[in-house]
Amino acid sequence: MNPVLPLAALGLVDAAFSGFRAYAGRDARIRKHRAVLRASLRGLAVGAVLLLAPALTAGAVLLLAEDTDRAYGVLADGGTGFLVPIGAYALAVGLSLAAYFALPYRASTLSMVVGLGPLTLARPLVVAGACAGALVAGGGWTSLLVGVVAGAAVLCVEPYVHRRWYAFPV
Amino acid sequence: MPHLEISDLITVTDPLSGARMPVRRGDVVRRLDEAGDPRAARIVAGLPAGPDDVLDPLAVDRLMIGVHTELQRLSEELRIGERLVHVLDPLFEAIREIAGRRGRFRLVDIGSGLGYLVRWLASTGALGPNVELIGVDLDAALVAEADRLARAEGLDCRFVHGNAFDLPEIATVYVSTGVLHHFRGPALAEFFEAQADSQALAFCHFDIAATRLAPVGAWMFHRARMRHPLGRHDGVVSARRAHSDETLLRAATVPGIRPLLYEPKGLSNPFCTTLRPVLGIRPYLEDPLRQALGRSSRRLVGAEHLTRGGPPRHDAASWSASGAASGAGR
Ligand SMILES: C[S@@+](CC[C@H](N)C(=O)[O-])C[C@H]1O[C@@H](n2cnc3c(N)ncnc32)[C@H](O)[C@@H]1O
Repeated sequence: MNPVLPLAALGLVDAAFSGFRAYAGRDARIRKHRAVLRASLRGLAVGAVLLLAPALTAGAVLLLAEDTDRAYGVLADGGTGFLVPIGAYALAVGLSLAAYFALPYRASTLSMVVGLGPLTLARPLVVAGACAGALVAGGGWTSLLVGVVAGAAVLCVEPYVHRRWYAFPV
Repeated sequence: MPHLEISDLITVTDPLSGARMPVRRGDVVRRLDEAGDPRAARIVAGLPAGPDDVLDPLAVDRLMIGVHTELQRLSEELRIGERLVHVLDPLFEAIREIAGRRGRFRLVDIGSGLGYLVRWLASTGALGPNVELIGVDLDAALVAEADRLARAEGLDCRFVHGNAFDLPEIATVYVSTGVLHHFRGPALAEFFEAQADSQALAFCHFDIAATRLAPVGAWMFHRARMRHPLGRHDGVVSARRAHSDETLLRAATVPGIRPLLYEPKGLSNPFCTTLRPVLGIRPYLEDPLRQALGRSSRRLVGAEHLTRGGPPRHDAASWSASGAASGAGR
């Protein structure tokens, strides 16, 4: 399986959520669906640009490789190893979100307090785990490099959007 | 060692005149150091002050508004509005049954901060059209901002600058969220007494459930969701300062009031119960309230519940006495 598409999709979804988080806590109005949507789109746009960095890094690795096919295979293995922790994390977030929106307020609180809150804090750890996954899956230093760049890119979306648009309360 | 919240120390309002008092940065830093909280002292040491070492009031106001805006995010995510309506809706149903359907009622939120609860209730109409919504807070800057936000969205509610111990607004029901832990010692009972002495039919004050998990959960959640160190610090201290079930029920045992706890420790899952209320109702409201709550009424208990399984940890004798007294009033 080629892990590029699911990784890109997860990266973009994460960027949209990062945009939301960059805005959340900055606007005390009650009705703010449009503002939430705008912040998510900002996160998505910033994420789309920043995620070019790992794509370009992977491109450079392939261009510089003596054996492109082999380098591609190694990157694909590393990408799959990178995807496993990220995928597990995405699943946990997806389940917590579904519980948050679908369940009555008490259980919804539970999914927020033991799910979505700690999961947000865990993002850097998940990125580190994904980099380790890339190595374990036989991706070598090239996958590690691409993974570190990708991880840095997704982790930068929230602080960037926050500083750029939401440095002060709306 | 006392647990001190920075926000209580950097905004001081004269309770009589409502005037803002100057606060010396060095004094606050010293108090926090003496309380064994160097981290809080560092946060305050970094706040802007004038040449006389008095904290810049405008900067403090901006900071408080920013921190309360972040705090609102937590209320939104923890669905505090729904949590309140779950109790307030049956309470108003019981009041309507006794006072007549056509009555006009008034809910006053004490220590309303940025007024999230009142504005959310106004926006959703969750309590029906005949409930007037008012927020009261001691902090004039928060009141002004709450009012601005309400006007900006055209919400039918208003905000008043005032003191919880000298309430400027009469109410049918007084409520609050996250305020009780600010009142320590005799002030807690005085707070309830002021409302019991008024014409109000009930009060319903929500505060952090005093469980072992509360400080850990507060740390985790504030760390994940709040950016300003002051908000993170005070959020955890609030959870540490949460009053026990015993303290709340004892303080709410005032003449003419039946004190009740909703979702006390032992009857609730500590992971799901972030805020829960102590209620004080006119005794004749208890039966209609239990009926309106339906199956949920099993979560509503009085002091006798705490004594039933053996003496409570504190003051067993005064407990039995106060439980009997409130029972006699029913
Ligand atoms: C932790 S905040 C809670 C704000 C809001 N209820 C919420 O849930 O977001 C406590 C609030 O109580 C207010 N407060 C403290 N002492 C008060 C008093 N004596 N009278 C009125 N308000 C008071 C503070 O100004 C502050 O806004």
